[in-house]
Amino acid sequence: MSQVYFEDVEPGYELTPLIKEPTREQLDAFTTAWGTSAGRFTSDEVARSEGFTGVILPGNMSMAFLAQLLTEWAGSAGKLKRLEVDFRRSVQPGDRLNCVGLVTDTDTEDGENRVILDVYIETQKGERALQGTALVLLPNKP
Amino acid sequence: MAEVNPTDAIDFDRSVIGVEVEVGTHVADKERMMAYARALGETNPLYLDEEAAKAGPYGVIIAPPLFYNLFGLQAGLDPKVVFGNTGFDGGQHVEFYEPIRAGDTIAATTQVADVYAKTGRTGTMVFTVRRTTFTNQDGEKTIVMDRINVRRDIQR
Repeated sequence: MSQVYFEDVEPGYELTPLIKEPTREQLDAFTTAWGTSAGRFTSDEVARSEGFTGVILPGNMSMAFLAQLLTEWAGSAGKLKRLEVDFRRSVQPGDRLNCVGLVTDTDTEDGENRVILDVYIETQKGERALQGTALVLLPNKP
Repeated sequence: MAEVNPTDAIDFDRSVIGVEVEVGTHVADKERMMAYARALGETNPLYLDEEAAKAGPYGVIIAPPLFYNLFGLQAGLDPKVVFGNTGFDGGQHVEFYEPIRAGDTIAATTQVADVYAKTGRTGTMVFTVRRTTFTNQDGEKTIVMDRINVRRDIQR
């Protein structure tokens, strides 16, 4: 994977979106690794009793997709420094998630090349399920 | 008309604000880290390929950034917010320092950093911010995470 450099980036730059289509199997693998029995993530019945149409993804699972978008973009010489995300709507297995990052500002502070981004996940219904901001540090072009 | 700060009207235990308590330690298990990375559809060899990780900057498998969510920690102090009939996970604000490496022992401390109310178009919501600091066995900070819980009233 080619490394992105600070000089390549300016406000308005959009990352290549990461498309995620989490399956029920992936959700089950996630909750198994977690060791959680929290009902709404594992039981359709419990999720329905709470007003959902079926099991939902933990907010931190969807948020991890945004972390993946950013760390893959930052590459081995870049670093995800901060991620601030609000959980706005639930996400379910079978949803098609468009994970988006848009650069809003860049600056250099204390020798660090800082890239500020707006990030969000939009579902196939056009709703923003998660939304927030991120700070990524990028290397200079050699 | 005098403005009323909605936070002043919320009933909660103000004495716990800013009081840091230990909420447990977690030993980062390599197999669990890899199972988590696979469940997310991660492909980064530093998370999944032991040989590549060995040759990489950390020498061992590291965890994807949000792995700390699986730690199963104690809740910490309870601000006993009395408001609304439902609560939900409002989000997380996270700052990353050292990565979590396979075999690390991570200690966590938590404080209730803030409780505040906001009144908007859909009524009043009360936000509780819990700040957790994760530190590895070498005393290095790995993550500082604010978890935001929201309470509100919904019509059933």
